Amino acid sequence: MKRWLFLILLIVFAFALYQPLWGQEEEEYPEEPIIFTKPVKAVVFDHKKHIEDAGLSCDDCHDELFEMAAGTAEENEDFNMKSLYEGKYCGACHNGDMAFASNRKCTTCHIGVLGWQRLQGETKVKEHHH
Amino acid sequence: MDLKKFGKWLKSLKNEGVEHLPVEERRAFLKMGLKVTGVFAGGTILSLVSKAEEVFGAAPEYVDKFPYKPHYSMVLITDRCVDCQLCMEACVRTNHVPPYGWRTKIFERRLVVGPQQYERQFMPVLCNHCNIPPCVRVCPTKATFKDKKTGIVRMNPKKCIGCKTCMVACPYDMRYFNEEKRAVDKCDFCWESRLSKGETLTACAAACPAGVRIFGDLADPESRVYKIVHDPSRAIWVLRPETGAKPNVFYTIDGLG
Repeated sequence: MKRWLFLILLIVFAFALYQPLWGQEEEEYPEEPIIFTKPVKAVVFDHKKHIEDAGLSCDDCHDELFEMAAGTAEENEDFNMKSLYEGKYCGACHNGDMAFASNRKCTTCHIGVLGWQRLQGETKVKEHHH
Repeated sequence: MDLKKFGKWLKSLKNEGVEHLPVEERRAFLKMGLKVTGVFAGGTILSLVSKAEEVFGAAPEYVDKFPYKPHYSMVLITDRCVDCQLCMEACVRTNHVPPYGWRTKIFERRLVVGPQQYERQFMPVLCNHCNIPPCVRVCPTKATFKDKKTGIVRMNPKKCIGCKTCMVACPYDMRYFNEEKRAVDKCDFCWESRLSKGETLTACAAACPAGVRIFGDLADPESRVYKIVHDPSRAIWVLRPETGAKPNVFYTIDGLG
């Protein structure tokens, strides 16, 4: 009986350590930018900019607009500009009201093959230094 | 006049540049046994220059004179370009461009739009199919020529001796030496691969998902290229106008910034 109680307490304790139930102080997010390469190369999404500068929290986008796993949206057939104009994906905020409209400032997000290659080069350099 | 005085007089002349001297005048001048140096001494040559200015004029004036039918042209709405390079991929597939070569490229530049604020702009470049093509002028074997009907600057690889002078002459760096063909290769507005077979668009224009590359007949007032180039509310420019090559590739923006 005592052993059982100990085990349950251990599990509860471990869970509490792993994920505090109240007041998540700092939201963790990927530091490396997310790069979309479908349907066109290449679009950048920077978590830092959207959280620190725009003040969004995780659940503003996850899991309704985007799954947590990077690259999931890209597999959808409707992941394109037309959907964005209809308010899906990035278009939920990028509608000209909350954030700049999806049919404006193309190259803010579209970094192109050139920008993608440059980012890859930077990570390669970083890896080299480690 | 002694040599010193002559030298002084020569130095005092105004340099009018050779860029606006048309090919025929250049040839005539050369036939007279003179060198085109950029300094034109005497009334005859000066009047030739001013007449050339009258005929060809500056960029906005010459757009209304289209000697070819159809007069193929391309407008690049450059702020729609996102450098996805689907045009380049389509071009490579259609025209069998080797990995070391190119018929079109995309360049990137950073525009200052405010204090500490920048905007990325991509700029697709291809052969400008110039009205006065410097590459055609320098080719010693007439392997590269301006198509008399369409105005397309084409290549006859059989005549090319690989001297690469045209590659140096091109103001846009849109020529490369194709090792397999043993000849210089370049964009021909997809004449051989598509237009001559009845297609109406180049491979790059057909592949562009963003509506950057507008291709058509500049001599047809109903065409989109004609309408864009003649739209008074638009800024239209050409690359390197100072070369006097009078390109048929125009640039504009939709103002999406």
